[in-house]
Amino acid sequence: MKHLILTSAILAALTAPIGAETLTIGTATAQTGGLAYADVPTMQGMKLAVEEINAAGGIDGATKIVLLEKDVRSDPAQTSIAAQELADAGVSVIVLPGDSDPALAAIGVVSSAEIPAISTVASSPTLPEIGGDYMFSNFPGDNVQAAVSAKWAWDEGYKTAWIVYSPDTQYTTMPLYFRDVFEKLGGEMLGVSTNTIGQQDFSAIATTIAAQDPQPDLVMTSAYEPDFPSMLIALRAAGVTSQVIGSDGIDSPTTFSLGDVGENVVFTTAGFATKGSPLEAFDKAFEQKYGTAPESIYSAVGYDLIKVIEAAVIVAGSTEPKKIRDAMADLENVQGATGLITYKGTNGMPVRQVSLIRVKDGGRELVGQPSPDANLIPAPRMQ
Amino acid sequence: MDLFVQQTVNALALGGTYALLALGLAVVFSIMGLINFAHGELMTISGYTLMYCGILGVPFAVSVPLAILAAVLAAVAMERIAFRPVRGGSGATMLITSFAVAMILQVLFQNLISARSQAVALPQILSQSVHLGNVIIGVNKIAAIAATVLMLIFLDRFMNRQKTGIAMRAAAEDFAVARLMGIRANTVIAGAFAISGLLAGVAAVLWVSQRASVDPLMGFTPVLKAFIAAILGGLGSLRGAVAGGFMLGFIEVYLAAFLPQEFQEFREPIGLGLVVLILLFRPNGMIPSRFLGLIKV
Repeated sequence: MKHLILTSAILAALTAPIGAETLTIGTATAQTGGLAYADVPTMQGMKLAVEEINAAGGIDGATKIVLLEKDVRSDPAQTSIAAQELADAGVSVIVLPGDSDPALAAIGVVSSAEIPAISTVASSPTLPEIGGDYMFSNFPGDNVQAAVSAKWAWDEGYKTAWIVYSPDTQYTTMPLYFRDVFEKLGGEMLGVSTNTIGQQDFSAIATTIAAQDPQPDLVMTSAYEPDFPSMLIALRAAGVTSQVIGSDGIDSPTTFSLGDVGENVVFTTAGFATKGSPLEAFDKAFEQKYGTAPESIYSAVGYDLIKVIEAAVIVAGSTEPKKIRDAMADLENVQGATGLITYKGTNGMPVRQVSLIRVKDGGRELVGQPSPDANLIPAPRMQ
Repeated sequence: MDLFVQQTVNALALGGTYALLALGLAVVFSIMGLINFAHGELMTISGYTLMYCGILGVPFAVSVPLAILAAVLAAVAMERIAFRPVRGGSGATMLITSFAVAMILQVLFQNLISARSQAVALPQILSQSVHLGNVIIGVNKIAAIAATVLMLIFLDRFMNRQKTGIAMRAAAEDFAVARLMGIRANTVIAGAFAISGLLAGVAAVLWVSQRASVDPLMGFTPVLKAFIAAILGGLGSLRGAVAGGFMLGFIEVYLAAFLPQEFQEFREPIGLGLVVLILLFRPNGMIPSRFLGLIKV
């Protein structure tokens, strides 16, 4: 009972400041577990943005932002519980984990509470589609990323491909989009392999690909840590010399520390710090606050997430969840750290820049930041 | 044919790693009747040792023995701190204790090191391969097979020739009688944990050199595989653990290699289905222990 009283007292203290001059953003993100690789750096970026905005007097110089944080341990059930708790606490916006599956677990809560929700970095285009009016995404869609990398591969003269995908999550099915685009462009698929998330051993798949005569020009996957390094090491050890193409999930320090094995891997991600770009400025500010450079693009994407909410609150002129949702759905060209972000005309999957990065000498090299041809982008696929 | 030979090498390498893991569980189980689910965390400790050695610039040849040593010390400490007080308890008590140890360690790793996966610097040679005729074999596969063979020979010698090893076998057979013969329970049990730590350490080096990263939860999958392998082989039997490990490795690799693509999605259920099928015919495992009647000390 004592605990109950104490908890309610804390809750009351937390909910009390919600008023005209504060915007409470509830975060139900994965600070631990399998998705921490994405949500931990995202949260750092979000906090940086909140700090900057509050230091300048708040949104529009009036509304301070308060973050109400909950760790969902990468667990869908916990995400749904945390989202409910945040809704009960009266937050204006809910931030959900960086993968569609746990984010989807909160659909019921956010739709019935009519609170807009944004996933940190989930990139499956099906998320806002299934999620309805109140679900937003904050990352270039899987289908857009696949269209960009397939077009690049085709233009580079790669004619044959092999994909490795996992049916375990929406995200890891990105290679299926790649296949659609690559075949549409005239490329030929030599084969498909399936893995499970957390699979330790990729030698069987690697040996199968190595045994192709000739080997495919490229191998595309959207596996991420720890699967991706395992797969890459297995591929190279089995003698596969094909170009390897990955996606934003491998935009992490491990990829750049693999030495020769990692060299020349090309992947799509949400941004690249060119000279004088907002991202370069963000990286500097980040280093000032945390003492180290951001370890992946996710921090900048987290910063963008808060900027999007800020822009929506300014347009809505209110912290009322419904008004923020309507304003957010209509946002155009919001300046984030990674570039311009537009929600207008989409179902909640933002239009934002995609960067192609090549691993070179253990660092990143910009291959290009192409805008994909709208005709090439495949329709969202239900898995 | 070449493809088949190559996939068999893959299966041997994976099966060998599973065998080491299952042996680590079996050594402790045969003596204490404890399935130590914190075995995976011993691997994580080894992994983090490798990571820190890499950051400090310690050569790989030195960091590998250090990583193995870390697992041995951690295993002995684990026994002394967590398992000795509940040694007389029921199997369930010890099982729950091992889950608790695993979770406490995971949370400590998350809070004290990082919730994120950390990169481990590996020598380039591990991702290279050698050509034997038409067959290409990865250096890491050869290393895994060699390490497994060495460990199995060492364990065989230890269990059959060394006094502590013989005492451990005696204790596994009948702990009460063994104690009457003057064998000290503490020595035998601490010895069993040290051996399991050694096996976990070697397996961890092989495991981490495949994935090049460590994270706080990385111990879960290997301990689960080890558990399946130990059950498949026959719980409490060391030979069974080795057989079970190799069998599981062969099932996984051959299914991944030769199952038609339409069925690949169901690879894991099919693999576990095969395990159940073997258990249907041999309910106590492939090579069951002769002395499963356990006596508590």
